[in-house]
Order: sequence, then C-alpha cells, then structure tokens
Amino acid sequence: MTNGIQPHAKPFTAVALASLMIITSVAAVETWAAETPRRGGVLLAVIGADPPSLDSHQESTFANIQLVAPLYSTLLQYDPYSYPKIIGDAATEWKIAPDGLTYTFKIRQGIRFHDGSPLTAADVKATYDKIIWPPAGVLSIRKAAYSEIERVEVPDAATVVFRLKFPSASLLDNLASPWNVIYPKKYLDKDPNYFKTNVVGSGPFKFKGYTRGSTFEGERNPDYFVKDRPYLDGYKFFISPETSVRASAIRSGRAYVEFRDLPGADVDAIKKQLGDKVAVQETPMTGQWGIAINNTVKPFTDPRVRKALTLGFDRYTASRVLYPLTGLKYVGGLMRAGSDWAMPDADLQKLPGFGKDIEKSRAEARRLLAEAGYPNGLKVVLKNRNVKLPYQDFAVFLIQEWRKIGVEAEHRPLETAAWFSDVQNTGSFELSVAPTVEYADDPDQFLGRYVTGSTQNWGRFSEPRVDDLFSRQARTLDPHERKRLVNELEKIVLENAYYMPGLWWTRKVVHWTKMRNYVAPPNHYTNQKLQDVWLAAD
Amino acid sequence: MRTYLAKRLLLIVPTLLGAAALVFLIMRVIPGDVTLLIFGGDQASQVDPKQLAAMRHRLGLDQPLWVQFASWLWGVLRFDFGTSLWTGRPVIEELLVRLPLSLELAVLATIVSVLLAIPFGMLAAVRQDSWVDYVIRVVSIGGLAIPSFWVGILIILLLVIFFGWGPPLEFTPPWINPWANVQQMIWPVLTVGYRYAAVTTRMTRSTVLEVMREDYIRTAWAKGLRERAIVFRHAMKNAMLPVVTLIGTEFAFLIGGLVVTETVFTLNGVGRFVVDAVAHRDYPVVQALVFLIALSFVVVNLLIDLTYAWFDPRIRYR
Repeated sequence: MTNGIQPHAKPFTAVALASLMIITSVAAVETWAAETPRRGGVLLAVIGADPPSLDSHQESTFANIQLVAPLYSTLLQYDPYSYPKIIGDAATEWKIAPDGLTYTFKIRQGIRFHDGSPLTAADVKATYDKIIWPPAGVLSIRKAAYSEIERVEVPDAATVVFRLKFPSASLLDNLASPWNVIYPKKYLDKDPNYFKTNVVGSGPFKFKGYTRGSTFEGERNPDYFVKDRPYLDGYKFFISPETSVRASAIRSGRAYVEFRDLPGADVDAIKKQLGDKVAVQETPMTGQWGIAINNTVKPFTDPRVRKALTLGFDRYTASRVLYPLTGLKYVGGLMRAGSDWAMPDADLQKLPGFGKDIEKSRAEARRLLAEAGYPNGLKVVLKNRNVKLPYQDFAVFLIQEWRKIGVEAEHRPLETAAWFSDVQNTGSFELSVAPTVEYADDPDQFLGRYVTGSTQNWGRFSEPRVDDLFSRQARTLDPHERKRLVNELEKIVLENAYYMPGLWWTRKVVHWTKMRNYVAPPNHYTNQKLQDVWLAAD
Repeated sequence: MRTYLAKRLLLIVPTLLGAAALVFLIMRVIPGDVTLLIFGGDQASQVDPKQLAAMRHRLGLDQPLWVQFASWLWGVLRFDFGTSLWTGRPVIEELLVRLPLSLELAVLATIVSVLLAIPFGMLAAVRQDSWVDYVIRVVSIGGLAIPSFWVGILIILLLVIFFGWGPPLEFTPPWINPWANVQQMIWPVLTVGYRYAAVTTRMTRSTVLEVMREDYIRTAWAKGLRERAIVFRHAMKNAMLPVVTLIGTEFAFLIGGLVVTETVFTLNGVGRFVVDAVAHRDYPVVQALVFLIALSFVVVNLLIDLTYAWFDPRIRYR
C-alpha cells in the first residue's frame, strides 16, 4: 500500500520539473521562502473574460477557475511549488490497494464550508457522484475521465473510497483536477445546478461579489482549515476582454497580476517601464494550437492530402515568427514538447511535417497533392474562432505557408458560438484551428480526443489501433511502458495526419514583485487558490 | 399640440413592437444555440440530447415563436423583462447596474459636445476661410476620422507611460465617491465628447453658413445691426434645427452604442452588455436592451420634434 505519495510516479519528473519552471521563478521561490509573509491587503488582478457559469464541474475556461478556485477545496491538488507532484487538500492521506482497484482517502477533520457546516466524506461523494454520474439536466464535461470508477463509497464521515473497474494510471491526476471543487451535499440534493450561480465553498476565501463584465471578489475566510492562511484579506479580479487594457492596468499598478498570459510586446513594455517592480514568469503551457482536419469530407478522406497539409507547414520558422507575437513556441507532437510523455526529437523529426528540411517537405507535399489529383493545388476553407491571440495569428501564418505548396486557404473567422456549432457539434467544416489545452501533462487528458466517437474528436476519424492503444495506455501502471504506448499512438495519428499539430504554447505571467509566493505552473488552471500568496509592503 | 403629442405617443407603440419583433426573430435565426452554450460551449456536444431538450423546455424555447413573443410582451407590460439565461438574475437587475453608467457617459459627453461644438462651429462659420476656421476644421475632421477607441487607447497609454497612472478599473457612481467617479469618467467623456463635438461642429458650421446667406440676414446687415446681434439673435436659432436633431440622435446612440469605448475604459455599460448578451444568445437580455435602446431613440426623437417649436416659432404641431 502507498501512503500519501503518488503510486504511479511519472517517469522523469525531476528533469521535467527543471525544464518547466524558468530560473527566475525558482530563484524567486527561494527568496520568498526566506521572507516573513506579511498579512493583509487585497490582491488585484485582471482577467480577460467572464465565466460562462460559476460551476467548475461544468466549465473548462480559465475565466471560471481563476475566479472561483480560491473559494473551494479539492480532494487532491498539484503542489503549488512543485508541479506535477500531487498533494492532499481536503484529503490528508490516501492508500491504494495492491491490485490498483481501490483508492481510500482520509478526509481532513475540521474543514467547514462558508455557511458553517462541516465538510465530510458525504460531500466528497456527492461531488464526485455529480461529476461522474450527473443527473439529468446537469452537464459534467469531464465525466469521461472517470470511466474506470465503479462506485464511490463512504464507510464513515472521514473516509471516501473509490472502487475501480480496472486499474487506472491517471486517477490521481484526475482527482487532483482543479475543476473538481467540493460542494456541500445539501445544496446539490436540492438543485444540482445550484452552483452555476451560487458559491458555497470551503476554500481560503469566501465569495464577496460578482458583477458581470466588471469585477469578481473574494474575502478572507477566517475559519480556513490551514492555520494562519490565507495571508491576504481578499482578492479582486477586474474583467476586461481588451488585452491593452489589462496590460495598462498592470503598468499603472491598478492590478498586480494577469494570471493567463499577455503578449510578449506588452510584457516587454511593462518590464521596461517598471523594471524591478515587476517579475515575469515564463512557463511552457499544457496547450497546443493545431488544425482539425475533417476526415469525413473530400478531399481530406485521402491521407495524401492530409499529409501534404502537415508537410507544408514549417513549424520551426513558425516558432521563431509566432513566439514573440503569440507565445506559440515549441514544436511537438500530441504530448507537450519537453514533458515526460513527449516523443524524442529524433523520432518526431521522422514524421511528416516535423523534418527540419522544409524544402524537401514542401516538394513531398506538392508530389502528394499531384498524386492525389491536385497537380495545380487546391482551395480549402479554414474556419477559425474570431479571437486574435493566438487563433488568428496562427492561421494567418499557416495560410501563407500553405500557399507555398499550392493550397489556397480561405480564412473564415466565426463568432465563438457559430464556430463551436460548425466545428464541434455539426462537423460543418473542412479545416479548423483547434486548441488543445489541459491542466496537466496527462495522456488520458490529451489523447482521449483521438479515440473513435469522442466528442472532442473534431476530425471525426476512426482508427482501431489508436482506440486500442489509448485503452491500453490508460490501464498501464508502469510509466515506461505507458510512455511507449503513448508514443506509438502519437506516431499513428501523425503518420496518417488525422490531426495536424501546430505549436505548443508558452505563457508569460507578469506580476508586481510585491505579490509574493506565487509560482506559475505550466497551465493557467492550477495553483489558483492563492492561499499562500501575500503582498509585500510598497 | 396636444393632439400631436398624443399621436406621437401612440406611434411609439407600433415602433417598439416592430423593433422588438425584428430582434426577436433575428436572435432565433442566427447560428448558435443558447442551450448548447449554457451546457458549456466547447464541451457542449457531450450533452445528452434529452438534456438539451429538457433545457429547451425549461427555457420555453420549445414553444412556437409567437407564443414565446407574446409571453415576453406580456412580461414587458408588467416591467418584467424575464431572467437572464446566462446569469439567472432578473434582466432588470442586470440593467440597473449598467444603465446609470451609460446615462452618465451620454449626458456628460453631450454636455462636452454642446459646449465645444456650438461656439466653435459658429465661430468657424462666421470667420469662414480664416485661420480660425482652418484650425477648427482640421481639429473637427480629425475627430471624425480618428476612431474614438483609438483615442481612448492613446489617452490611457500616454497617462500610463508619462505619469505611471491609469484610470480606475471599476465604476463608482458619483453619489458614492465623486472624485473616483471623475477619475474614471473624465477620459471616456473627453474621448466620446471629442468625436461627438467634431460631428456637431461640422453640422453647426454648415448650417450657420447656410443661414448666413439667407435674405433676412442680408437685410439685418443692411439695417446696420452689429455682428453679434445678427449671429446670436437671428442666425443661431434658425441654424439649430439640424444641430439639435443630430445631438438627439447621437445621445440616443451613446446609450447603447459605445461598445469598444466601454471596453477600452473598462466601463461596464449597456453597450458591452448588448454584445455580451448577443454572443451568449441571452435572448431576454438582448430583447430588453434593444427595447430600451429603441425606446430611448423614440423618446429622444419626440423631444427633438417638440424643441423645434421653441427654435422656430413658425412650426405649429397638429
């Protein structure tokens, strides 16, 4: 039995961690650790959008999680200072049966929801029941990640047991999901959609107010279960969709941080003006922008056409050009470049579109197009979301790349609702810019979208070998064997160009140095509880 | 006059009905489904069709269009604009948060515009083709040519770069903290007021020039009246009819049309609310807002028509 540590350790965690955090942020943590935290103050932040709803179980946007994460507890969490290490939050310890089919969690005593009621194992069960088996009329967008769970049991008020149908390599990662905030059972019993518009959490901060399009506020929870936390009196997000407004807010000191990302030019300008008053933490991102190819419509049913498209994209030049504009930087396959799971560069470069000799790739692309019956090239429609950063910048670069192999793409940006409707729901598209952003480098999270019938499989392809490999890797507890299966799956998708990866994202978190004790993880979803963050004196 | 007023007030009803019906239909034919968006947008296709159907039923979207429209109209008659599909809060509550800001911005920008445009427009006309006229024309054409949001971004950047200061990010009503309100509102008011003043200055100049060429003005000059008396007593009032019309329609536009300016200055006004609501297919909110904007246009137009009589006593209403 394992107690309080990850049973399925990731293969190269130490190496990955070193590559994740830039030197400045690691140095900053060491500096902050030597200081005595100061109490008080309200952390002022800016954010680029309103949350669609307040229920994290039903949402997938930073605009939800960054606002509400400080209000809630989760069963487990990623260590704020050591991604991807998993530590407890509401759970103090956990044990995994040798057969990997039973996970037993001990719930911390003394946790109280903001309405004064105690958090018990029953609340954890009610929360996970809602996530895994949502009642009618309730959406749970991550329920597929818990398909291995047979049932959740509560032997006593302080114990939760997850019983599995088969061993799962990703269960702890999924239980550390920042989205799985714990709700009080009594409210869920009355209305499972209650938390779309209400907040009753047990996190370090209590909900204070929300005005759509303007502000979202939390105030210190004096009864928080971690002694002496949080340090802040509260936090306040100002909501503005305009990037220049958010950047100006940081420059003028009206806000201290933008947790998602700001364009490199703005970050440079802020740094130039404010000097040592601000710090920049640049991290890789568990997010990639690529192209969904609709495998069900001609001419994309022909693998030669699909391969030509991916061969015609010079990812290495794109990285140099797009990185300063958009943060799109790393060339990689289906798992994040530089992560534990990424395919070795030497193997990757043998796959279509990843070779470094672009002229050779373009010649091959033209040959394939001619062979497929398009010697004079072809015209395609590239649908996109009408969001500039990085969607449209990426598309504009790609279109001029494709022109070099004779592919004329008409760029058609759509309003968000119409874009989702066409690309995801109805399949009414040929090609579309497709983002893949998750909260952790977990193969289940990133590869589930390539499985037959997955709602995230925008390309609508079906490859039995991929389905089989996905299923096998999900149940493989040995990390090295799992990595082999993951890379094999990647190879099949990329060789057949079922999907076309673009570039992996990076983010630059710029914040005033008086905001202490925050380390940016490689995504904008985790480490948002703010319980250890404090504000230094001016 | 009374008959005229009654007629105009009665005409408001079909006008508003027409606008409401038009928006009602448009919102339902554009692509995108509010139920899918409520179910999470990018993950919506994971939703069971039964859940979607249940949600449509709950929202009344499975009813025939005319039933939905009639039900909404019945609510409007009772000042009940429904509940936002997105936030779950009554639309009227959401509106009351934003309306004071938009009204304040519209009123202040109008004041700035009138204070600048009428004197400068008249001065440019009276001193036609002098350097004064040229300066006023260049500045006003600049105001027309440069988008307000760009001026806004420039103002914020200049403040931030040269003074390390930016306007507050949250609206504070003047009755709560007048100084905080001034700090936030002065910049958008100047930005919007500049464009508004530019349009009005051009109109004032043109109409004053036209009036100054009328026979009765020539007679006034021939009588030996002083320039001030001719301009203010005889020309100004007659030149004001188109100017007042313009000011009125611009004012109504400002209530809901300042989307980008509101975004640039982080003002949580009606303009942004409209766009947000359209993007989220929040039908009750869009309908309420369009109704409000249409109402403001109708009321302002009525007021403009009524002021005509004051400016030109020859106008009689029947």
